[in-house]
Amino acid sequence: MSEAAVVEARGLVVRYGDFTAVDRISFAVGRGEIFGFLGANGAGKTTTIRVLCGLLPPSEGGVSMAGVGYEQGERAIKEKVGYMSQRFTLYNDLTVGENLDFIASLRKLEPAAYRRRRRELLELIAFDKPMSAMVRDLSGGIKQQVSLAAALLHDPEIVFLDEPTAGVTPVGRERFWGLIRRVAGGGKTVFVTTHYMDEAEQCGRVALMREGRLVALDSPAGLKKTVFPEPVFEFDPIGRLSFDKLSAYKTHEAFSFFESYGPRFHAAAASPELWAAWAPRLEKLFRIRPIAPSLEDVFIRVVEARR
Amino acid sequence: MTFVPARAGAVARKEWFHIRRDPFTLALALVLPLLMVIVYGVAIDFNVKEIHLAVSDLDQSQASRRLIDTFSSSHYFRPRPEASAALATADLSDERARAALIIPPRFEKDLLAGRGAKVQILLDGADNSTVGPISQYVASIQALASRRLAGVDPSPPYQLRTRFLFNPELNSRWFVIPGLTVVIMAILSIFLTALTVAREWENGSMELLLSTPVEPIEIIVGKAAPYAALGILATAFVYVIARGVFGVPFAGHLWVFALGCLLFLVTYLAQGLLISVLTRQQTIAMQFSMLTGMLPSNLLSGFIFPIASMPRLFWYLTMLLPARWFMVISRHAFLEGSGFSELAVPFAALALSCATMVALAARSFRRTLE
Repeated sequence: MSEAAVVEARGLVVRYGDFTAVDRISFAVGRGEIFGFLGANGAGKTTTIRVLCGLLPPSEGGVSMAGVGYEQGERAIKEKVGYMSQRFTLYNDLTVGENLDFIASLRKLEPAAYRRRRRELLELIAFDKPMSAMVRDLSGGIKQQVSLAAALLHDPEIVFLDEPTAGVTPVGRERFWGLIRRVAGGGKTVFVTTHYMDEAEQCGRVALMREGRLVALDSPAGLKKTVFPEPVFEFDPIGRLSFDKLSAYKTHEAFSFFESYGPRFHAAAASPELWAAWAPRLEKLFRIRPIAPSLEDVFIRVVEARR
Repeated sequence: MTFVPARAGAVARKEWFHIRRDPFTLALALVLPLLMVIVYGVAIDFNVKEIHLAVSDLDQSQASRRLIDTFSSSHYFRPRPEASAALATADLSDERARAALIIPPRFEKDLLAGRGAKVQILLDGADNSTVGPISQYVASIQALASRRLAGVDPSPPYQLRTRFLFNPELNSRWFVIPGLTVVIMAILSIFLTALTVAREWENGSMELLLSTPVEPIEIIVGKAAPYAALGILATAFVYVIARGVFGVPFAGHLWVFALGCLLFLVTYLAQGLLISVLTRQQTIAMQFSMLTGMLPSNLLSGFIFPIASMPRLFWYLTMLLPARWFMVISRHAFLEGSGFSELAVPFAALALSCATMVALAARSFRRTLE
C-alpha cells in the first residue's frame, strides 16, 4: 500500500490543553480507495479530518497528502484536497452558478479550465437545471450532488466527505454512492464519514476511532472476521420475553456479545463448551441460526466497547 | 501570510449577492439613515421657540400691554389671551400653553406709585426639557421689560452682549445632524458585520471557506468591504441632507472628516467582528451589538446628553468609547472648521481605540480557528 499511498498519517497527535483529541494515529490510504471513517461523536474523527484537510496543524506527527504536508504550508495541502461537510453545503440565497463561481475564484481557477471542469462535473452528476437556479429551490439530494461538484472543482486528488448523506432520502443516498464510486473509479481517493452502516459496507476499508485512537482498520469483511472470531448467531424470540430477562442475557455466561438487532438479537458464543451446555435451553425460547456478524455488530463491539 | 486581493474580492462579491437578496440588510442600510435624519432633524426640535404663553391681563392698562408686547416681540413667546387667571392656569394643565402670565388688576397703579408691582409667571414644571430655557428667556425679558416700563433709556452703564460662535442661531439641527453620522455609522458597521460573520459561523460555512486556500484576513476584508461601503454611502447621504436640506454649514476640511469616518468605521467593523467571533450566533450577536454599539453611541457619546454633565464615573467611561471621540471630530469638522491640530486629542484617542479593537478582533478570530 505504502508505495501508492495518497493519504498518509504518521503518529498524529492533537491536544487541546490537557485534552488529547487525537492520540498517535497512523494509517495510509491508496489512490482510488473509498475509505470509511467511523466512530462515535467526539471520538476524534472531525479533528483528524481537520488535520488532513490542512485546517489544523497537529501537535505531533505529520501528514502527507498527495505528497505534501504541513512543512509545505497549509495552503499546499488545501490545493490537494476537496472538502464537503454535512453541516453546510452551498449558500441558499445564491444561485448554483454564483456558488460555483465563488468557490472557483477562492481557488483562483483559470476561467477556461474552470468552465471545462464545471461542465464535466455537472455532466457527472447529471445536473439538468439552469445555472441561475437558486440553491434553496433544489432538493436535498441535488444540493448534495452540486456540493460534491463544488468540492471537486479544483480537481483535487483527495476528497473528504463529512457525513455527506445526512438528511438525504434513501434514493438520494443510493444515487450519491453511485457518484462516490465513479469519483473513486476516476482515480480520486475518497475519505468518507457516515453513521449509516449500509454505507460503511460500501467502503473499501473502514477505520474505527474511539477516544482519539484508531481501534480497528480493515475491509468490512476483514473487520467482521477479526472482531468476531467466535461464531455469531441470530436469535429470534419465539414467545414474549420480559425486558429484565433479555437484559440478563447481555451478561449471561454463554455469550460474549448479545445485542438487539431490530426485533431480533445478535449473539456471539463465549466458548464452544458453554455454548454446547446452554444451547438446548435457549432453543426453546429462540429460533437460532448462525449468521455472519453485521458491520453494526462490529461497530457496537469496537466503538461502543460493551463487554 | 499573504493577502490576495482577488480572493478578498470574491468574498466581497459573494457578500454583495447576499445583501442584494436580503431585504432586511438593504432596508437597514438605506432606510435607517433616512428615518433617523427625519426623526432627529425634523420631528425632534431641541430649540425652544414660539412658546405658547397664556396671558391673563386683569389690568388692561398701557403698562400691562407694554409688558405683553415685550414678550411677544421677543419671538420666543406667542401670547394667548385669556379672560381670567383660572382659564390661563387651565391652559397649562391642558397643555395648550407652556407658560402663563398673570397680570393683577392694580399693576399699573402699583407700578406708578412705586409700590413694587407684582406679576406672576407660571411654568409647566412637569416638562423638564423646556422649563430651563423658558425661565432663562423670562429672566432676560424681565430685565428688558423693567427698563421699558420704567421709561429709562434702555442703555445701562455697560452692556453684556452674548454672541454664540460657530452656531450663531443656536440651531439644534446644526448640532444634532453632524452627530447623526456617528450614530448611523455605529449602527450599520457593528450590526451588519456582527450579523453576517456570525451567520457564517452559525451555518458552518466558515469551515467550508477555510477548507479553500482563502486566508482569514481575506475573508474579513472581503466580508467587511461591502458593509464599509454601505456605511460610507449612508454617511455621504447624511452629509448631503445635512448640507442641502437643513443648511448645516460645513466649515472644516472634508478630508479631516473623512479620515475620522474611516478610523471610526474600521473600529466598529472590528468590534462587530469581535462580537461575531465571541457569540457565533446571529441572535446573540444582534443583542450584543445593540448593547455595545447602538446604546452607547446614542446615550454616552454626547449625541443627546452632554458628556460634561454626566456623573464622574460615566464621564471616565465615555473616554473608552470611540463614538464619543468621533462625535467631537464630526461636530468640530462641521461647525468649527477645526483641523488636525485642534482635534489632536480626539484623533489620537480614536486611532488608539481603532488599533486596539482591530488587534483584539484579529487575535480572537485567529484563536478560534486553531
